[in-house]
This record gives sequence, C-alpha cells and structure tokens, in this order.
Amino acid sequence: MSISRREFIKRGALTAGALTILSGTTVKGLNKKNFPKGWKGRQRVKEIPSICEMCFWRCGILGNVDKHGKLLKIDGNPNHPLTEGRLCARGNAGHKLAYDPDRLKYPLMRVGKRGEGKFKRVSWDEALDFMAEKLKKIKAEYGAEAVGFFPHGIQARFFEHLMKGFGTPNIVEPAFAQCRGSRDVGYKLTFGNSVGSPEPLDFENTDLMVFIGTHIGENVFTGQNLQFANAIERGAKLIVVDPRFSVAAAKADYWLPIKPGTDTALLLAWMHVLIYENRYDKEYIRKYAIGFDQLKKHVKDFTPEWASKITGLPASLILDTAREMGKYYPKVGIHPGRHVAWYGNDSQRARAMAILTALLGSYGRPGGIYLSSKIPAPKYPSGKNPKPGPRADGAGTVYPFGSRGLGITNGLIDATYDEDPYPIKAWIVYSQNVLQSIPDPWKTKEAIDKLDLFVVVDIMPMEQYLYADLVLPEATYLERYDDLYTVKNAKKPFAAIRQPIIDPLYEAKPGWWIAKETAKRLGLEEHFQWETIEEYLDYRLSGLGKTLQQVQAKGIVVYDKGTPYYDFSKPIHFKTRSGKIELYSQTLKDYGFDPMPVYEPVEEVPKGYFRLTYGRSPVHSFARSQNNEILHGYMPENELWINSTVANQLGLSDGEYVRLENQDGILSNNIRLKVTPGIHPEAVFMVHGFDQKSPALRLAYKHGASDNYLMSRVNIDPLSGGTGMRVNFVRIIKNGQPVMVSGAESIVPKFKKNTKTRTPKKRIVVPQAATEAGESEEGC
Amino acid sequence: MARYAMVIDLRKCVGCDACTVACRTEWDVPIGHARTWVEQSVTVGEFPNVSGTNWVAQCNHCDEPSCIEPCPTGATFQLKNGIVKVDTDLCIGCGYCVEACPYDARYINPLTNKVDKCDFCEARLEEGLQPACVTTCTGDAKFFGDLEDPNSEVYKKVYEEGAWRNENDNAAIGPNVYYLGTPEQLEIVKEKFGPREPRLLPPAQAWKNILKPVVLTAIGATFAGQAVAFFNQLRKGEEPIDD
Repeated sequence: MSISRREFIKRGALTAGALTILSGTTVKGLNKKNFPKGWKGRQRVKEIPSICEMCFWRCGILGNVDKHGKLLKIDGNPNHPLTEGRLCARGNAGHKLAYDPDRLKYPLMRVGKRGEGKFKRVSWDEALDFMAEKLKKIKAEYGAEAVGFFPHGIQARFFEHLMKGFGTPNIVEPAFAQCRGSRDVGYKLTFGNSVGSPEPLDFENTDLMVFIGTHIGENVFTGQNLQFANAIERGAKLIVVDPRFSVAAAKADYWLPIKPGTDTALLLAWMHVLIYENRYDKEYIRKYAIGFDQLKKHVKDFTPEWASKITGLPASLILDTAREMGKYYPKVGIHPGRHVAWYGNDSQRARAMAILTALLGSYGRPGGIYLSSKIPAPKYPSGKNPKPGPRADGAGTVYPFGSRGLGITNGLIDATYDEDPYPIKAWIVYSQNVLQSIPDPWKTKEAIDKLDLFVVVDIMPMEQYLYADLVLPEATYLERYDDLYTVKNAKKPFAAIRQPIIDPLYEAKPGWWIAKETAKRLGLEEHFQWETIEEYLDYRLSGLGKTLQQVQAKGIVVYDKGTPYYDFSKPIHFKTRSGKIELYSQTLKDYGFDPMPVYEPVEEVPKGYFRLTYGRSPVHSFARSQNNEILHGYMPENELWINSTVANQLGLSDGEYVRLENQDGILSNNIRLKVTPGIHPEAVFMVHGFDQKSPALRLAYKHGASDNYLMSRVNIDPLSGGTGMRVNFVRIIKNGQPVMVSGAESIVPKFKKNTKTRTPKKRIVVPQAATEAGESEEGC
Repeated sequence: MARYAMVIDLRKCVGCDACTVACRTEWDVPIGHARTWVEQSVTVGEFPNVSGTNWVAQCNHCDEPSCIEPCPTGATFQLKNGIVKVDTDLCIGCGYCVEACPYDARYINPLTNKVDKCDFCEARLEEGLQPACVTTCTGDAKFFGDLEDPNSEVYKKVYEEGAWRNENDNAAIGPNVYYLGTPEQLEIVKEKFGPREPRLLPPAQAWKNILKPVVLTAIGATFAGQAVAFFNQLRKGEEPIDD
C-alpha cells in the first residue's frame, strides 16, 4: 500500500482533528470552505426567471441551472410583485415534473380499443398530419362546430387561437362551470364586473377579512397567502364560515361551523342586521346602488334567529359577526371564493356575497376589493376568424349567464352525449383533465365513445390518455416559451414572461409550435404570421415599451399606471344595466329568476350518510401533481376527515382504512380516516384529485380515493350552468359492511331510479345572450 | 461574532410545507426524512369548541447541544456563531446523536449513511443569502438573524415580543429556534411537541467510560502505523504519488 503525500497529510489532519474533538474539546469557529459538499448553489451557473405552472396562479420563479443545462432547483423570483420571491411547496417541487420518468415522451397513436392504453409511437409529422386530416374531414361533413376544444391555462392559448380560426365556438374550460363561474356571474350582475383572477382583495389595508368556504392555507396561492398572513400579523380580524375547522378557521376570531349548504341564509341574516341596525354604508348605497328599498323589505324577516335554525349557528354569533362588519366597513375584505360550484344555487349565493360587499361599501375601496387595470399588450395581427355557428354547450342560451369566453364543459359533454343540438365529433383536450375535474366521469367516457377523434395534448399520462386516438406530448412550463402572461388584478399590474429554463426532454414540444405546425396543415397560416416565438413576444411587449431581450433578465415588467380604487370625486359608472350597483336585478327578473337572492333549502343528508365535501391541500394541485416524486412523498394519498364524536359512535378509529359508497351505489377506493373534532358531523371531507386511474402514473396509481368518481350527480346552476357538486352523499364501508347508525338504511335503490343526470335537458330558448362573447380570462 | 437564531411565527404559518420542500431540494433530503418538518391542522377540543395550530420544527442549534457529547468521532460540533454541524467526513453513522437529540431533528441519510440535519443553510449564509426555508415561506412566518444584533428582526421578536423557547422538564438546553403564537397555539405545542428526554444509548454511555480511550488509542495507532509506512516508503526512495 502506498499513499500519496496529500493523502498522508489529510489523514494526519483528520486524526489530529479527531483526537482533539474526542478528547472532549468542542472546536469552535471551524469553517471549512468546501463544506458542506455538493451545495447546489455552488454548481449553479445560471438563474433563469420564468413563471410557474404547478398551478394557475403562476408565481415568478428562478430556475437554477448547472453547466450541463440541468435544472438543479427552483427558487421564487424576488421581482414578482405579488410573491416577493416566495414559492409554495408545489412550485419548489416543479423540477420533478420535468424529470418525471412517467412523462409522455413521444406522439402516440392508439392501436387498441379506447381505454386499453395500447399505442404505437409515431413521428410528429405523422401525428399532426393525422389530426389535421381528421379535423378537415369532420369540418367538411359536420361543420367546424363539431370540434370541441377543452383548453387550460396560457399554454393552450395558441391552440385556442387556432381553434377560433378553425371556426368552432365550442371552447370550454372547467374554470367556469366547475370552479368560479357562478361567482363571476353573481358579482357581474351586481357590480358589472366579475372578480377575475387573482382575486383583487386589498388585504394590505383591510381591517376584517371574511371567508365563506375559502380555505387559504390549504388552498395556497403564494401571493394571496402572503397577504393573508401579513394581514393577520397586522392585526386584521378574521371571520371564517366553513363546516370544517380549516387552517384559516384556526386563525379566525370567529369560526362559524355552518351546516353545509345553508350559507345564503347566513348571508341574508347578516344583511338584515346591517340594514335594520343601520350599520351599512348609507352614503355609498345612496349614491351608487339601486334597489335598496326592495332589499330592505326582502330581508325583513331574515333575522339571526331565523338563520340560526337553518344554519345551526347560534343567533348571537350571527349577530356579533354582522356587527363586526358594521364596525369595520368599508375596510372589510369579503373573499368572493373561487371554487364555488357547490349546490346549484351558487350564482345567487355569490350575488348575496356581492350585495353584502356593497352594503359595506367595500367594492373599489381600500381594504375591500380593488379594481383591475388594463395592460397595453397588443395582440399579434392575425387573420380574421370565421363567424362561428351556435354554441352547443348552452352558454348564453340554456344558461343565460354562462360565459361564452370560458364555456360550459358539462354543457358540451351533454351535447356530445345527447348529440343535441348537433353532433360533436371531435374533442381536443389540452392540459385539462376531463375525467378528474368534471363530475360524472362515466358520462364523459360515454361521450368520448361517440367521437370520431379524441386528441389529448398533455404532459403526464392521465387517465384520459387511455381513451385518446392521438396523444401529443407537451413540453413542461420549464421547457418552453408561452404567450405573455398579463396580470390585471394587481395594484401594480404587470406582465410576466415564461421562457425555457431547460431544453424540452424527449420529443415534447411547446404549445406554440404544436399550434403553428397544425395551422400549416389546416391551411390556417394567416393566423400565425410570426416566424419565431421571440418575434411574437417582442410584438406583444412593445405595448409596454420593451423587447423580449430586455425582459428576459428579470422576467417581469411592472406597468405602474393602474388605479386600483374608485375616484369618488368623479361620477362612477358601473357596467351594469342601470349603471349602478344592482342590489335588485331587473335583468334576473326579466329572465325569470329571483331578482334578489333567496334561501332555498338543499336536500337533507339521509340518515346514516354524510355529505361529501372536498377541497385542497397545499402540496397538490387539482388532480395534476399526484405523480410528482416529492409531492407524492408528502401526500401519497388523501384522508377522509370525519367528526370525532360521530366516529366514536360508529366505532371508527383514526388511521383505519374504509371505503365510501355514494347514493348511487358507487364505491370508492380505500381511504384512511382522519378522525378530528374539526368538522361538522353531517359532512366528511377529502382532498380532491386522488385515486388516479392511469397505470402509467406509477406513483399515483390507485392511491387514495377520488372525490370526482363519487360525484355521480350534480345540481346545475340555472344561471351559469355550473355544476353544484356538494350534493352527493356517502356512507362508510368497513370490511365490506356498511357502518351506519342504528335504524339507517341504504338509500341506493331510491336514488338509482333517479337518472336525472343522464336525461337530456329540456332546452329553453332565451331571446338574447346575457354575456358578451370573446372574453378571454384566466382560468383555474 | 454572531449568534444565529430563528423565530417562527405560528400565527402567520399556514403549514403549507413550502419551507420543507425548499429545504429538501436545496439539500437533496431523501423522501421520508427531513431537516425541517411541518404538521398542518393539529386540532384539539370537541366540535365546535376547538383550537388548532400548525407546527414547524428543525434543529434548534441549542446553547448546550445534547448531540455533541455522544458523538464518538467528533463529527458533530458547534461553531462560535451557534450553528451545530455534522462533518460528514468524520461521521460514521452510528446514530448516537440521533437518539440524543430531544427534538428528533437528526436522521441518518440512507444514501450516504451519514447523519444529516439543518445547519441554518450555512452555505447560503456565506453567500449572503437567507436559509432556503426563510426565503420561500409563503406566510413570511420565518425570521432568521443574529440574536446579538439589537437591530435584527430576531432580536426584536425574542427580546421585545417575547418569542418562546420550546423547553420543558425533559430538556432545557437553550433551543435557538423561537416561536411566536397565540396562547392557545403554544398550549398545543407544549402538549404535543415538547422535547423528549435525550436518550444516551447504553453503548453511548459505555463509550464515554470505556470505549472512548480505546478508540482514541486505535485511531492514533492507525495513523502512527501509516506514518511508519509513509516514512519507510520515503526511505526506500519511492516517490509519493501525488493524485
């Protein structure tokens, strides 16, 4: 054995060090420069700013790349005005999406039956030729409207642009009917503007925050979370209405553990107190609102005592919380909610929240809801779109206030299934997950069966890919340019760019490339007149006086010309029919709806059953992130929250596995119980997005239970077309046997006869669309 | 010289795990182990009279660390600035320190068989950065700085706002991660997350009395042997290889 000089010296030093330490002396101040080894910061050669897409909030990120072009780590971008360099768990784990071995890697063409998941690998040329050929054939035979497009996010914008050029009106996102559509309808009917995204809540100045179902903390959007936490630190008060003791509820001054489905009764009682105790903003209402006298009369009998009987909340708690609002107005931030598709009466509940906001004078005022501003980012010149035919999803017709910008997913699925009002022959699903995000997935599958062409453009092999005729692998957000992301709902509005941090892996392609290449094959080049994506972005940024190159170093351009509040020294015009805030809505009256919100009881939970509620976890996004190695490590499966008193009665204990059976006899996968005092006895709760049914998702496959697969029925909101999803009941099955209180019976036969969701709807025709077409909004 | 400390404001913390994922990616902490960890929605009481908190923990870089003494090789040591560190060159993965830490803040990395734990991101501090968990915290609930600097945030939060040390009868060794919280929150923390007794394993106790001198001698003898070999090598006229 021979040893080198260096090795000899090193061993000597180590020995000396060891002897010193071992003999009992603690060495202080030792600071080896090369230690600890392998810190990623030292391997970093580049920090590339971009925007996240682990969820739709799109926070600013910095990708740390090593000399081999490998993404080491993602940090927050300190230049981002809303997040100030912070990033949530999912954003921090984003590199595991790019490096997920289960990713879709090549274009695939189906060779087996739909659902079998048998594919052959094809080239991009073959794939796009095939798709274009099919689309042309369908257009020739059935018209462009026979093609349905299901986009999500800014990555789908180029393809959406293509689809509009192709001529279909049937473009639908779950952001509306499964998420915040009803909220936007309610607020638009009241104030003339929908709230939009991110929600423009002025938590910086608010004295009292009010959440109704909103669970910030579990539903983490970094910027909003930060503002919420800072408001708490500042001493702002908090009222949380939620049947579950959420993270936010645990921080609240008042937690109102409401009986699920009774929120409108509470909201009406709050209005009653504010009005009849003269605690509302009289001047604001007098100057800017119409219908106050009708409202006053309307809520006359809706006392806290009345609401107490309905909501199960003490009347004194209702009264106290109303008085708190009356004390702090107009600096009251009532969070309008986001996923509001609960019971099918959701637009009217949103109206009630908007009216309450108006009574407190907090719309367009510091501490309440601030106003959005425009960002001058011109659209790249494009060919003129053909005039599209009538929509099939019912937006603006069957559902008079349904958005024609975001569409109604379930409306289009119904139309495909029923072939009414006309046949839909192709679906292109782009970054959406139609089987996990839209209720009644069985119906969705049956609708897919009727298609001549089903294309999935995605990053991960989600269950829907098993049914696709053609699968196109999309580059992740870390590997591509996307359209400019403009944020109007910020006190200082801004634009952010997404730019590649790493090269696309495998044969994945960015959305702009897929759209442009498809356009060539469809003869729609005039819609993509730019040569390069850089040229396209340069053009859009020119409105902000910047070039892409100038923005690349920081990733963000702040447009400092917004005016987030109304200037009350000037006349104010609200974009409603009357030009004022509409406490009483003549528009609703004309369409045959209640002009002011009324409380309609929801169906009672049958004995022995629970109402199935669901929500978010901070470590997962929708049904999208369950296969991410890190996030899966944190939360491989979801849990079922159940009230501890009820669990004791039923002999159920924390941590044990059960299954759920819903009112239609549909059985869930195994789910672990979380026995907690923090949930209403009538409800159970689980985090959305689990029990992935695609075996190609090797980590997430069959982990946890799927809430969506227990939603075999919905209550449709007649105003918006939104799917109220909290109308499903479940009982607990343990060791194959139902666990129920004595005397309770199965309700399955009773509901099996109810085929409401499968029956074609009666279509009502309304004279004119109540919403404007062509609005382009950010979805969730 | 600085005395580094951290303050975690549980009133602001939402338990979102951003900090722990940032730490994991910064230091390649394997799934199933953690340098810092979070428990969200720890709830006590009876519906509807309940209270709850989130919980974040990590190495406390204690004033009197209980993890240094049991280490047989001196791999665990403390810097003058208070940071308790593990020298992975010296660590033999025996796990005595893991047992000795009353906060369970240490783990043996299965990939390296060495002990790992929070070091306040010392490498980042050297670059003028804050610890990764602090930078990314979505609730701005973590504060890091020098407790000897009266202008630092941590100084104010500890000495003016009265941030609390998680100590009890089991262990009172001066943790330097402090907490701010409502009385209800701190009550839950005391009940559920207080330190346990440091465990000195029988072998570790044996180590102190018997094994230590033996090992010291062995290490010294090994080097002595190598020295003899080395100089023999030189005497024979063989050039040492420089790698």
